Amino acid sequence: MSELIMFHGRECPHCHAMMPLVDRLEQEEGIKLEKKEIWHNRENADLMRSLRDIIEPHCGGQLRTPTFLNTETNDVLCGEVPYETLKEWATR
Amino acid sequence: MCNDIHQGIKPPEICPTCMARNAYVEVSSEEAEKMMQPTRTQMDKEKFRKAIEAFTEENEFRINPDAERVSTLLEGMFHNEKNHGLKYCPCRLITTDFEEDLKLVCPCHFLVHDTYKEKGECWCGLFVRRKEDE
Repeated sequence: MSELIMFHGRECPHCHAMMPLVDRLEQEEGIKLEKKEIWHNRENADLMRSLRDIIEPHCGGQLRTPTFLNTETNDVLCGEVPYETLKEWATR
Repeated sequence: MCNDIHQGIKPPEICPTCMARNAYVEVSSEEAEKMMQPTRTQMDKEKFRKAIEAFTEENEFRINPDAERVSTLLEGMFHNEKNHGLKYCPCRLITTDFEEDLKLVCPCHFLVHDTYKEKGECWCGLFVRRKEDE
């Protein structure tokens, strides 16, 4: 499993808003995020559900998108965040 | 007279649906059951959008004025209804516990959510709090 995951929904506007920031992060920092769509891909949905205990406490008790998860540290970001916050999470 | 069905030993004096006074007629339980069967209604995105618009009319919130955002969300909800059974919020994932997941059906009970309290919008942003002049 990849170290940095972005769970997103194809029809989730928050996810659309975050995509350019993720692209910028990947280009500027040389970091790769594993992007996993959860409403059109059952495997990705199952994976997100299997991580409920880690994700939900950071996301209002729900499995919200977008969710950014560092699988090594279990650091979680949820929702639309500024670029600097995303970068800080990814490079921590 | 408006097909409102009342069960009990005595009908209300004023019908709660059409406000007609003393306008009930006794029917058999079989007929009442038939009348209470849900009708098959086709609901496309535009019809649903109008339905939720009507739902907001008397409330402190409205549909997001960003039409593209609304269109994207409706696309997701209708995809979810077709493929997962109900119009689940496209910005949250179902747990597969049916009762728990009913909380994710749009419109959800967003008034109690942190995002509505703090930012004035539901999690996905379909509904936003009205400004004072709206």
